[in-house]
Amino acid sequence: MEAAARKYKAKDYKSELKPIWCPGCGDYTVLNALTRALAELGLPPEQVAVVSGIGCSSRIPAYTSVYGFHGVHGRALPVATGLKLARPDLTVIVTGGDGDGFSIGGNHFLHACRRNVDMTYIVMDNQVYGMTKGQASPTTAPDWEGSKLTPEGTGINPFQPLVVGLASGANFIARVSSSDPVNMAQIIVEAIRHPGFSLVQVLSPCVTFRPEQAEWRDIVRTALVDYTDDAARAARRLMTDDGFNVGKVLYKGERPPFRPEFENTDGSIAELEAKFSL
Amino acid sequence: MTVQSVSLVIAGSGGAGVVTAGSLLLDAAANAGWYALMSRSSGPQIRGGEAAAMLRFATEPIMSHDDSFHLLMAVDWENITRFSAEIPLVAGSLIVGDPAHGDAPVALLGGKPRQAALAMTEIAGKIENGRPNMVALGAIAALIGLPPQAMQAVVEKNLRRKGQAAIDASMAAFHAGIAAAADLPAIPKLPAVTAVSEPRWSITGNEATGLGVIRGGVRFVAAYPITPATEVLEWLAPSLAKVGGVLVQAEDELASINQIIGASYGGVPAMTATSGPGLSLMIESLGLAVAAEVPIVVVDVMRVGPSTGIATKSEQSDLNIAVYGLHGDAPHIVVASNSVADCLFTTQWAVHLAESMQAPTIVLSDQAMGQARAIIPRPAELAFIGQRETAKAAVEGERYQRYAVTASGVSPMAIPGTAGLTHTADGLEHNEFGTPSSQASDHQAQMDKRSRKLTQFNYGDHWADIEDAEGGAGDMAIITWGSSTGPAREALRRFSDAGGKARLISVRLIAPVQPERMAAALHGITRALVVEQSHSGQFHRMLRAFYDLPRETRSLHQAGPLAFGPGRILEQLKTWRA
Amino acid sequence: MNETSPDSGAIRTLPELLAHALAMESEAAERYGELAVQMETHHKTAVARIFRRLESAERKHLGELEEMCKKVELPHYAPWDFKWTGAESPEAIDTGRVHYQLSVREAILLAFEHERRAAEFYAGIAESAEAADVKQLAREFAAEEQEHIGWLEAWLGECGPGDALATEDPDPPLGQE
Repeated sequence: MEAAARKYKAKDYKSELKPIWCPGCGDYTVLNALTRALAELGLPPEQVAVVSGIGCSSRIPAYTSVYGFHGVHGRALPVATGLKLARPDLTVIVTGGDGDGFSIGGNHFLHACRRNVDMTYIVMDNQVYGMTKGQASPTTAPDWEGSKLTPEGTGINPFQPLVVGLASGANFIARVSSSDPVNMAQIIVEAIRHPGFSLVQVLSPCVTFRPEQAEWRDIVRTALVDYTDDAARAARRLMTDDGFNVGKVLYKGERPPFRPEFENTDGSIAELEAKFSL
Repeated sequence: MTVQSVSLVIAGSGGAGVVTAGSLLLDAAANAGWYALMSRSSGPQIRGGEAAAMLRFATEPIMSHDDSFHLLMAVDWENITRFSAEIPLVAGSLIVGDPAHGDAPVALLGGKPRQAALAMTEIAGKIENGRPNMVALGAIAALIGLPPQAMQAVVEKNLRRKGQAAIDASMAAFHAGIAAAADLPAIPKLPAVTAVSEPRWSITGNEATGLGVIRGGVRFVAAYPITPATEVLEWLAPSLAKVGGVLVQAEDELASINQIIGASYGGVPAMTATSGPGLSLMIESLGLAVAAEVPIVVVDVMRVGPSTGIATKSEQSDLNIAVYGLHGDAPHIVVASNSVADCLFTTQWAVHLAESMQAPTIVLSDQAMGQARAIIPRPAELAFIGQRETAKAAVEGERYQRYAVTASGVSPMAIPGTAGLTHTADGLEHNEFGTPSSQASDHQAQMDKRSRKLTQFNYGDHWADIEDAEGGAGDMAIITWGSSTGPAREALRRFSDAGGKARLISVRLIAPVQPERMAAALHGITRALVVEQSHSGQFHRMLRAFYDLPRETRSLHQAGPLAFGPGRILEQLKTWRA
Repeated sequence: MNETSPDSGAIRTLPELLAHALAMESEAAERYGELAVQMETHHKTAVARIFRRLESAERKHLGELEEMCKKVELPHYAPWDFKWTGAESPEAIDTGRVHYQLSVREAILLAFEHERRAAEFYAGIAESAEAADVKQLAREFAAEEQEHIGWLEAWLGECGPGDALATEDPDPPLGQE
């Protein structure tokens, strides 16, 4: 607790634009938590950029009052990587869903974890493609029969984003639930503050195509143990958990972020050209 | 005056060191005050494959290879027939082979070239650490009139690290080659240059492209390796660092294009280089850069397609994808370099265009230019620097419109960090604020604006290189683009020397099209020859779609990797005149 | 999860109480506003109207509170440092509890539940606080919440049979991007 009012309030980070999300969607909570986190960090809106791809959750940038970039499906991480490397002074946050991040954008996910650029990736995981009327996503259970595209279920085991993230080198890993926006705000603050690539998985129910996910709020439980900096222990924990341990940071690494410096040496174009000169 | 030049090939297989020999010869030619062009062809092996270095030397600047080679110096004959189509030999040509490796393959003899033997292996064997390729170089030097001291300096520089013994051995082999050349039939010699009249550069097309990128103001490059574009990126990596820029290796082409979009959105001019397969992967995000109005430059060093095609050889067949590949109506800019030297100009110009119009710009280069090394007159300094119109400060009481509909079509861009102008750039269709919109009126207004900014821009004279024969344009024109310009230019020169009248139009600005400028360039022209290296005549079709061509227009097109020699183009002009 | 034991006793001073009240009222006003927008966006006008009315009541309350806070230096709390009894401030409706076909009656009941939690929160402070001024003010705040509860009870009474029904939408969801 500190004295004196903060310069920014959560609502200062919200735009006038009205979300198109269905009432009850977990993504509303993420927007609230994100704006609370930014207010708590006291970041001037113009020093923050939120980057996204395509999907329901990827609509977040326009609902904020910070700089936003709403690109194409699956490519939010490389856009954010380029932005952060070109503009290390900005706070870069990436938002998106499970399909955007782990299916079409899967390769970028691996390499963003590996590259460890200082940014925060908030994935709203609802185990479904909402924008296209409810198809199975990489995190959908194999026996989910709710989609016309895979009426017998996918028959494929779900992708394990946090295990893969850890194995790929993510420097900060947490899972939160959209039923606890205050906790989510706290974790997002930590994620942004932690140097390197921070991965925050949000269990964010889709009320329209996965109404049964309304139960998640009752299933989730606060993880019993605090974070570890030991990747092997974190891996064991993640490999054995059922996906509903939330509310705490699971892993914090100490790997320095990838940050190629703009050297600003005294070199000049004339010097480069001299090498061609005969 | 028709170019006085000598053309030769050094060929051999793994370990023969013909690529190194070619480079030494080019450097020596530079020391001798000559101009040169060197390209190479190689087998599919990573190491030790058969290779050929094709060189042309002249005492004045040259733009293209000749129709045939005066000399083929074969260190051995391994798989040389793979290149036979790329090594046209005629009655005056001379094949020099090493008797130790047997006779020349029949496939090389169709043009009835003269043949001679040079016992490179045997001669080299008599010198401690002597190598056959240096014997070959000695013979070549003697045949073409290259002063030995020009090679001495090159060998000293290249072998300095290996020590004096290595230098001495190489030069001994070189001089033995000179001596042995006394028994060889003559080929044209170039005169010695006593005083070089102008500053010259030795540069490859890919290096020139890289330099154009930096000169234009790019300071962020994302890279994914692909032949034959890799050298652009490899040259840029250390060079960018020297001028305060940065290059990042991406995980794939989808990442590299999106990284540069992110960097440019952040206000740092950005580019990447790729080839056909990579360009195919980048297409969707090029559309994003169109819609979100993010300036980026993508260099496509074209190779033979489709699919993986022939990765190491040249073709001008990515024109269609570069112009039409994007889905939706997606106004963007496509420019084409038309010589090794022009890779610098066109790429620098491309950065200027992209930044000025906040639009993605594709630069089409190709393997023939990109991987060719040339000795050229020093390129002129150019004023083009990327200048992006930015919004600097909020206007009291007004909400910032990132995509404001303006007369020019260009909307001042707020760079992240600028207070009061936050907005979301969007690939979804949007209104002037950037808010997603599915309304017909917003789509129309934004389409109009994105199109207008390209059509209203003043491209000046750079849209094409237009050159006339000394006697004037007459009523005949060659319309070409990219690396086909080199042979077309030489054909025009030869035609002019023979008293012919014609005009060369080498189109640099492929898109947006310039119908008025083309109409002016074609004024008085009744016959046009369209020259390009593509199987389907992509350029010809494009010209027919967008321009009023003379009624009598012929298309001279062929698939890669074979390039046109100037002679084939000249032949068309001559028969037409008759 | 998240249902921690009431810790409202930790609020001991007037500035602490005011900081909590300010956060709670502004979050309630914002949340009612957001829910109204959600319902308006999906053309659920009757439900949206309920949330708008509540928003306006909270804004009025908030205005008075802000006036009261002007002369007081308030402590800063991070969102997670407030002494709420649940995951969020008690008066803000959990966005996950609403849904597309929320009936008018359900909306009133949801608001009722949260207003009552707000009243209980203040009542708890009034009971446990030692300082007389804190007790007094908490009691006043609790009474104001009771007033809202009273309205909601009245609205509930006014509900017709149709207000209890989920709003219908025979059309299937649409594909977008």
